[in-house]
Amino acid sequence: MAPDRELATAGTRSPRHSPSARSSSSRHRTDRSDPSTNSRRPLTKKNVPRGRIISIFVVIAFVYAVLGARLFDIQVSQKDQYQEVGLAQRFQSVVIPSERGSIFDRNGNALAVSVERMSIWADPRVIKNPDTYARKLAPILGVEFNGLANSLGTKNRAFVYLARQVEPEISNQVKKLNLAGVGFTPETKRYYPAGDLAIPVLGFVGTDNNGLSGLEVDQESQLAGKPGKMSVEKDPQGRVLPDSQQRVFEPKSGRDLLLTIDQSMQYEVERVLVDEVTIAKAKGGVAVLADVRTGDILAMANVDGAITDVPAHPAKAGSANRALSDVFEPGSTNKVVTIAAAIEAGLVNSNTAFEVPSALMIDGTKFEDVHSHPSQLSVADILRISSNVGAILIARTLGADRFDAALRLFGFGQKTELNFPGEASGILLPRDQYNATSMASMPVGSGLAVTAMQMLQVYLTIANGGISVPPRLISATIDANGERHKKPLASSRRVISESTAATLTTMLEGVVSDGTGTKASVAGYQVAGKTGTARKPPYEKPPYRYVASFVGFAPTEAPRLAAIVVLDEPQINATGGLIAAPTFSRIIQYALAVDRVPATS
Amino acid sequence: MTTSFEQLSSRSRRRRAVGKETGFHSWTENADWWLLGSVLGLIALGFVMIYSSSRSIVIDDPLYFVKRQSVALIVSLGVFFLIMRIDYRRFSTYSLVAYLGTCIALFLVLTPFGSDSRGAQAWFQLPFGFQLQPSEFAKVILIIALAGFVNQHRDEIDPWRLTLIVGVALIPLALVQLQPDLGTNMVLLSMVIGLLAVAGVKGRYLLILMMLAITGVFVVLNLGILKQYQLDRLTVVLDGGNKKEGASYNQDQSKKTIATGGLTGQGLLKGPQTRLGFVPEQQTDFIFTAAGEEFGFAGTSLILTLFAIVMWRTWRIANLSADFYGTLICSGVLAVFVFMVFENIGMTMGIMPITGIPLPFMSYGGSSLITCVACIALVANVHANRFS
Repeated sequence: MAPDRELATAGTRSPRHSPSARSSSSRHRTDRSDPSTNSRRPLTKKNVPRGRIISIFVVIAFVYAVLGARLFDIQVSQKDQYQEVGLAQRFQSVVIPSERGSIFDRNGNALAVSVERMSIWADPRVIKNPDTYARKLAPILGVEFNGLANSLGTKNRAFVYLARQVEPEISNQVKKLNLAGVGFTPETKRYYPAGDLAIPVLGFVGTDNNGLSGLEVDQESQLAGKPGKMSVEKDPQGRVLPDSQQRVFEPKSGRDLLLTIDQSMQYEVERVLVDEVTIAKAKGGVAVLADVRTGDILAMANVDGAITDVPAHPAKAGSANRALSDVFEPGSTNKVVTIAAAIEAGLVNSNTAFEVPSALMIDGTKFEDVHSHPSQLSVADILRISSNVGAILIARTLGADRFDAALRLFGFGQKTELNFPGEASGILLPRDQYNATSMASMPVGSGLAVTAMQMLQVYLTIANGGISVPPRLISATIDANGERHKKPLASSRRVISESTAATLTTMLEGVVSDGTGTKASVAGYQVAGKTGTARKPPYEKPPYRYVASFVGFAPTEAPRLAAIVVLDEPQINATGGLIAAPTFSRIIQYALAVDRVPATS
Repeated sequence: MTTSFEQLSSRSRRRRAVGKETGFHSWTENADWWLLGSVLGLIALGFVMIYSSSRSIVIDDPLYFVKRQSVALIVSLGVFFLIMRIDYRRFSTYSLVAYLGTCIALFLVLTPFGSDSRGAQAWFQLPFGFQLQPSEFAKVILIIALAGFVNQHRDEIDPWRLTLIVGVALIPLALVQLQPDLGTNMVLLSMVIGLLAVAGVKGRYLLILMMLAITGVFVVLNLGILKQYQLDRLTVVLDGGNKKEGASYNQDQSKKTIATGGLTGQGLLKGPQTRLGFVPEQQTDFIFTAAGEEFGFAGTSLILTLFAIVMWRTWRIANLSADFYGTLICSGVLAVFVFMVFENIGMTMGIMPITGIPLPFMSYGGSSLITCVACIALVANVHANRFS
């Protein structure tokens, strides 16, 4: 500034300027009578009042103080608070779905796999004439015109699904239409290559690939894997710009399951069961086939009986796995528990003779034998001809406490180690709630309810020399790197002695060779087993409805395979011996062949 | 800088002496390089920020806005040199003509000659897609006109003359309000008050005038002259962001963007909010946010400092002026800049309501740039002629 003032004071052009005139503010010259006067008001200097100078300075200083303080506040002191909001709005996360593990049978055949399918969606904001779109799309997608037109015309929505996980030919057809506002998103869809085979065991998944039933939900933690995440910087319109930042967290694929199920055995068991259910005009049936030594479930079939115009067929997706979820009164198959306990207690052996009347009145209820028999029967005979009265007499010898303990020891009243979704634990009265007829009804298999698997477990134990090996459905998992992790066998426990088991096996052999279960025999193999026929409640009111079953194992000299067949309300040949036993025979024969079990010489 | 300035000044002193003898006279010899340097710096920063904030708006042409602004800059320089060629005192002769011309232009823009854009009838369409905003030019022309008028009556501003002056100012103000453009009117109002303050109008009159101005703004807010969205945006700052989201969107985004810059900024072309275009109108009214994000507190401080220098030099030239007319012109320009800077930067930080006021020299927009450069040309003109 100094130079200007010097210029002013030493000014060549304002001789009249008197420094003393405005010494206090020399910068404001006041040449009121400047010679450059024109006709109008002279353009001359004038003092700006000091107060005004200060106020103007104050205004500017105020403006700067406010702006500076606010700027410091936003950019330095509180920037985190504002920045975070900014970050949150710029970065949007997109979930990268993880690949769901596949399910294979014991030989590596795929039972459940995930395949990529297109989902078709639309942005209704872009679509001007939803009706035209709907007219074109409805026939391809196979949906109703009205519903489609409605969702296409949804106001204020930027995204509606038109169809999810459609087959490639459908998505290709839609792509060819080249409709603006219609988009495609790849999604994985669960696909069961073997169709409905073992589907109640496998279960099913929801649209978002989350397990909803069966092994799919039971093994969700193994199969699902961990979804990844992609954080993408997006502009306000949601577009991903080419130079924007991305952070990707790779998804972790789920593990594959290697089941104990044998696809071919499962198929055969289902086929045979459908056959027999059809013949017996049964309401349905279940069958379980297992490996005696490992407890591996080789087949677990659920069949729905025929209704009006639908023939009997393997249970469809969404059906319960009734072999584990449904309970039934077992009937005579339960007699082995009574006899096993009595032998184990040293009370009887297979030759111990009982004086067996043909009927017994207990507390006003009559228990009678179906088949007429001589008055004296050995324990083996009681089992062979399935004498109810005989079994009741043995149970009497045994006593309620030991009988009750035996039932629980064999695994009744509690879920199996499978712990399958929806598995039932059966109905077993606590010891202190036994009534007057309990010790008559329960030894012959009524007054308690079991699952097919629970009853099979009893016979698996006998076949395995008295040692119970818990059943299992999964033998190994395969991780994302292809590494196989074997699932160790669950710890086994002894239920009855080896000799008791051997005695029982011999007696059960008699049932098939010369008793109620002759139709269960298989040419070339020694088969052991027991029939069961139970009336369903209401017991005393016709028409009587039955549950017919057969459970057994083969070959008896070195048991390898065990199976149970349960037919619900067969109307023809409605006994375990007539309908369940032949079914068992067909199943076990096939399984013995597939497993290459040598024939009994 | 100081040394070079003094060197310049002393050099110009010597030259001046020579010039006196030879009749040589050029404003460049006496130019206030502090002022012009700061202005050039702001313009340059403006171009950088315009590029940064607009490069992804027009697909395939990231330089679209920069190119158009370059045309405006060339025109601005032409206007600058044109104004520098004429002694500012000659402008006072044309006060009335300029005033009437402005009023006519402001009237015409309201007729079908003008065109509507972003809710305001404020533009004349020119060839090649360029537009002219007469209310911008009204700022500079009204400075000249009102400065001339006030100068005529400087010692006799009694209530009657004051009313006359205010009345004269009110006609263009009313025309602008019909567009409607409250922002420009607030600039014009602060300019009128600034001029009158410097002219020595009695304090109580000024106070009354300011009260009237504030009342006027409130009347406008409540009379439904503004569009609802303009009203919402204006008043959002008053109720602390409780307004519906749409109304506070600009301000929220603007604040976040400035905050993202932090102390040192994200780096040129690296500001994520700017790059992704989260701030609406960022290359125009919200250009400050781009600088805030990419250069941080350091950058915004630089901008404020450059504006401070422009204000300081303008105020200094007002005092150096050879006559009171020059002082008034400089004061008017100063008032305009102070208000625009405060309002524009204030609104980006959420302490002032959002009105469509560009940041001088930096915001994209030809009319604004030309007007601001013309204002500086007037100040430089006063400076160049301070001895004659």
